[in-house]
Amino acid sequence: MPTEAIDPPGIDWVRVSPKYITVRLAGWALGTLVAVALLSLPLALVLSGTWKWPPLWLAVALPAVWLLLALWRLALIPRQVRSIGYAEREDDLLIRRGIFYQRTLVVPYGRMQYVDIAVGPVERPLGLCTLKLHTASAGTSAEIPGLPASEGARLREQLSARGEARLAGL
Amino acid sequence: MALTPEGTGAGDADWLRVHPASPFVRGWVALAALFLFFGRDTFERLLQGGPVFDESFAGRAPWLLLGGGTLLLLTVIGFILSWYFTRYQVAEGYVRVNTGFLFKQQRQARLDRVQAIDVVQPFLARIFGLAELRFEVADAGESAVHLAYLRADEARQLRATILAGASGASGAAGSSLLPSAAKEPGQPEAATMEAPERTVLTVPPSRLLGSLLLSEQSVAIAAGGIASVMLSAVTENRSFTVFLIPAAIGLVAAYWNSFNHGYNFTAADSPDGLRLRYGLLDTRAQTVPPGRIQALKVSQPPLWRLFGWYRVQVNVAGYGLAGSAGEGAARTTLLPVGSLAEVLEVLSLVIPDSGTPDSGKVFTAGIAGLAQAAGTPGTGTSGSADRPVDDGGFVTTPRRARLLAPLGWRRNGFTATETVLLLRSGRWWRNLVVVPHQRTQSMALQQGPLARRFRVADLVLHTTAGPVAPRLIQAGLDEARTLLEAQSARAHAARKRQKSEHWMDPAAEPAQRPAEDTQEGPHHG
Repeated sequence: MPTEAIDPPGIDWVRVSPKYITVRLAGWALGTLVAVALLSLPLALVLSGTWKWPPLWLAVALPAVWLLLALWRLALIPRQVRSIGYAEREDDLLIRRGIFYQRTLVVPYGRMQYVDIAVGPVERPLGLCTLKLHTASAGTSAEIPGLPASEGARLREQLSARGEARLAGL
Repeated sequence: MALTPEGTGAGDADWLRVHPASPFVRGWVALAALFLFFGRDTFERLLQGGPVFDESFAGRAPWLLLGGGTLLLLTVIGFILSWYFTRYQVAEGYVRVNTGFLFKQQRQARLDRVQAIDVVQPFLARIFGLAELRFEVADAGESAVHLAYLRADEARQLRATILAGASGASGAAGSSLLPSAAKEPGQPEAATMEAPERTVLTVPPSRLLGSLLLSEQSVAIAAGGIASVMLSAVTENRSFTVFLIPAAIGLVAAYWNSFNHGYNFTAADSPDGLRLRYGLLDTRAQTVPPGRIQALKVSQPPLWRLFGWYRVQVNVAGYGLAGSAGEGAARTTLLPVGSLAEVLEVLSLVIPDSGTPDSGKVFTAGIAGLAQAAGTPGTGTSGSADRPVDDGGFVTTPRRARLLAPLGWRRNGFTATETVLLLRSGRWWRNLVVVPHQRTQSMALQQGPLARRFRVADLVLHTTAGPVAPRLIQAGLDEARTLLEAQSARAHAARKRQKSEHWMDPAAEPAQRPAEDTQEGPHHG
């Protein structure tokens, strides 16, 4: 399937740090570990003879299929991270993400209520942070993950300054 | 009068109190429970024909009386204290409310940030001629300020005072009037006249009943009923019909709720905005000042088409998300059921400047229109407003994507006027969403794998919480991109424009406004 970007033409996207792939990998590893462990429970019970019902092949297939899907998602992570981008324009901030499910978000500076910076346990040693924008609408899930800490701080100051200059009523 | 502050010092003489009966009206459930708890024994004995006082009771009576009396006394003292420590003030562009005696709470809200004001009369309060005033500002899960209870006429006067201060329509009077009104608590009513109003439409009870019977809810019930009857016939098992009884009670309650809230619905136009009144037992009068509507939806369930009925719902910041039934749903309903003409009338009130010379035609096309089967001509790159007006200028889903929406592709579309964006969708469940340009928060263009195959995309507009979720479904990719750009530009231009009108700029911080803003109210500091 040809992948045509949905974002408007003529925008210089700033990509997030490639180190963010590590963060995503850590999240993926943890999630997959827990899920596969849980899904292997029937297998263990069948093998130990406690459970009679699920036939062995089904008990094996369950975690195997999950693992397969997880591996597919693993292969996608680098491309997904590369697809995340943002662009500061005159009056609004653009954020894009996704390969299969693409999303391009436009947040006018004048609509921003506040800006958050969050740093997770995996992000901290890598020197990354996640920037979140909030408007009066809960539907605006504007998030830029994987920003270098200095860039995050700069962006926050920049956005706050621009937001104040352009703040409009609801 | 009840509002006169008796025990207050001279310094805060303009602080007013709510009606002394309020805690009793609000807490009648607690009192009733108390009486029930202590009176039940005696009552049951009376029912069983036994003597009121028997031997065992005689021994316990002093203790029962003592316990009950103490609890009653404590409750009443609590009520009185909560009344005494609840005080409010409208002055200097703010409304302030202090409550609580152990945990004190002080709350103040800027008058010019008002999003809506409701005067609510629950049944019991209505008997006593009392009313509750609710003052909504943006971003409040609960009402920012609610005063329960005031005398009904006082509540209306206070609403008029607040609206006069908030609108800035009274110009300099807006600031001079408020302190003076508050300094003489005995007669603030004389200061502010309630804005005159003109009744626009009423919904007769028969039509309300008909609309309820033909609503989606009824269709679902009929389907469920048929299914359960068939199930019982097939399985020859009657036992689960028992479950139908609570279901039926729930349904009756839901219908009653809708009827109770929609009864005697009246919409009126006033300079302070749209006035909505409704309610059978509990009545409510809502005032939505102009420019407070974030998004609006006209919808028509399939069965309503028989009579040409429509429903109008709105997002207003502060009203929050509408619940399934009851209060939330009622508050966000601008018109529970109405004809096309009435819908257009309401639209013309809440969107006074539709930004198009032929608004009736555009709105009608949005509500009921359908593109030609050949598809929108020239699905190229140009915008929408300058299209030859065959379908109200609506740009619909391109013909290539008709497999994605075999029914809806001629309906799903958008058009933009100078001031609003119109999104329509649904062949059977007709929907028209109207979003004023200056109310757009943010936008997102979204596309899944299937949509990419057909080169279409969805445009989602984010607005405050409410029943309306504006979404343009399956627009051609080029059109969607163009719209995204055009809409950002339009929203930006509209935001710049809106700052000049006081009613229109509820939330701008004076310190953060640009200096060229000339028409600031004096109480902006």
